[in-house]
Amino acid sequence: MTTQSLEMYSFKANLQIVWSEVVKNFKFLMAYPVIFVFWTIFPFLWFIPFVFQGQAFVGSLQSAEFEKFAGTPDYIPFIVIGAILNGYVLTSLYGVGESIRREAYRGTLDYLLSSPCNKAFILIGKALSESINSTIYAAIQLAVGIFLFGIEITIGIILPTVLIIFLLILGLYGISLMLAGVSLQFKQAHDVAHTLEYVFYVFSPVRYPLGSLPFWAQVIGRLLPLTYALVAVRSIMLLKQNIMGLYQEIFLLLIMDIVAILLGFYLFNWMEKRTKSSGAISHY
Amino acid sequence: MFHDESNDVYSIQTINLAKSFRKKKHKGIFGFLRKNEKEKPRGHKGVTVALDKVNLKIHTGELFGLLGPNGAGKTTLVKCLSTILIPDEGTAIINNFDIRKQTALVRASLGMVIGGERTLYWKLTARDNLIYFASLYKMPRRRIRERVDELLGIMNLLDRADERLEDYSTGMRQKVAIARALLHDPPVLLLDEPTLGLDPTFSRQIRSQIRKLSKKEKKTVLLATHYMEEADELCDRIAIINKGGIVAADTPNRLKAMVRETEIVEVVCYNPPQNAEQYLKSLCPDVEIITLIRGEVTKGSPSRIKLIGGNAEKRIGTVVDALRKKNTQITSLNISVPTLEDVFIKLTGAKLAEGGDARQ
Repeated sequence: MTTQSLEMYSFKANLQIVWSEVVKNFKFLMAYPVIFVFWTIFPFLWFIPFVFQGQAFVGSLQSAEFEKFAGTPDYIPFIVIGAILNGYVLTSLYGVGESIRREAYRGTLDYLLSSPCNKAFILIGKALSESINSTIYAAIQLAVGIFLFGIEITIGIILPTVLIIFLLILGLYGISLMLAGVSLQFKQAHDVAHTLEYVFYVFSPVRYPLGSLPFWAQVIGRLLPLTYALVAVRSIMLLKQNIMGLYQEIFLLLIMDIVAILLGFYLFNWMEKRTKSSGAISHY
Repeated sequence: MFHDESNDVYSIQTINLAKSFRKKKHKGIFGFLRKNEKEKPRGHKGVTVALDKVNLKIHTGELFGLLGPNGAGKTTLVKCLSTILIPDEGTAIINNFDIRKQTALVRASLGMVIGGERTLYWKLTARDNLIYFASLYKMPRRRIRERVDELLGIMNLLDRADERLEDYSTGMRQKVAIARALLHDPPVLLLDEPTLGLDPTFSRQIRSQIRKLSKKEKKTVLLATHYMEEADELCDRIAIINKGGIVAADTPNRLKAMVRETEIVEVVCYNPPQNAEQYLKSLCPDVEIITLIRGEVTKGSPSRIKLIGGNAEKRIGTVVDALRKKNTQITSLNISVPTLEDVFIKLTGAKLAEGGDARQ
């Protein structure tokens, strides 16, 4: 037992758990290759409604009225950034909770929960798998945006953008943990995730600038981490603003990350204990 | 491992372990925020007692059987020991660690096979499955590779190690499940119905592995099963569990000796009457227990009627006449050697196969 106990607390071993989870999920993905059809076609189709919409309302993809709220007259680059960041929200909301439900359905959940490792690392591995999927998808969307709609990317904006996305993802992992707990207790978190998806979609500036919303809706929007991430990334990528000028958004993102992760851990552990007491742990 | 006053060394000990399940009641949209209904007393309507203050001591290196019908509480006990379920009362000590207070250390000491072949990732290969689960036990990467190959070799699966489990047979997947339990070389194994649904060849192979693990590798094995032959063949000691309680625990021979003195008459027959047990009981009230184990009509296997205890032997004539009147075809009549099934019936009044009550 001595050697095993020593191994149990090593940081490297925890990273190995995260990595094994990512590898496992990647192999599942490869077992269903039809996903590549979606990855190849959808990024192109996705743009078309926005192009038509822009032309129908203002006759082009640029608008002075839009510039008053967004700081940029170009609608397509604005919406591409909105879609990419919202993509991380969607995969975080649906991915981990659904993954827990699938583990229960397969009968593997009992084995995950009865292993001696910290379950948080399994969940982080699941969330990271979803983030990697989102990143691949975002890269394709961005590439389409660059080649078809002239979105400009310079080396200098990559690092600050990645930092903001990282901060957004951290907070989303906290929400993922909460939804994983909900999934343990109620056996499916889909409806909660669906509701949250619309809260983010409506009140965060995904498809329209925050300033165009009524005051009450702006207040709700400012409680969501996606709002600050969108404002920061658009400021960096579209308005070429320096990251140092975005300290408020970064600070608020950090606070939200800490709250969401602590709350996520607490809720997951609480729900796990409840289901282990009630005997419903491996129900699905 | 821990010692008691007799200086025996134990790897598993349960102390008044109790678990009940409450029937789900709709408590409204926000009902989940309310406290669990733990206050409801045991024996209350809607409360199923799965474990009733179970006390067991299992020696280090012992192959210990837990024999009981479906729903007797075997899986609940295994799940409590493996920390998947939190008991309502009592606790258990495994490899010197308390299941309530030292869960991580208990989990590191245990390997389990529970739920059978469904509990693996069928879209992954046997090797990928084992590598993944080994990583949860924090084994060094190189050790994982060596151990996985070693176990696949032991299970005779090395040549198909890189095939997905969806292409495996049920028996092969069960072997992978056993290999998974052994990845971190745990001193204690919890096996819940490890041969359920397997054909005789695979069952024999799995039983042989279990015997080796106990006798050669000196692992402490708790084997929960409802197959009496399996328990009889493999186990050093057996606890008979029924309705959540342990009704007896001893070596198979000593358990069988409990009914050796008792007369057991077995009537092998075809086409017994529907209510044979009640019908014969009304004719032979001085026979302690009368049970019927029906044969499978489709397979052409005969039914067996057992008369246990009381004046069983003296009542043979009455029983034969009564069955003939009901057009039952009797093929043989035996004064039988007691089996664990007879012990179970004698102790609980229920049949292992059905978990019913033969006394009624």
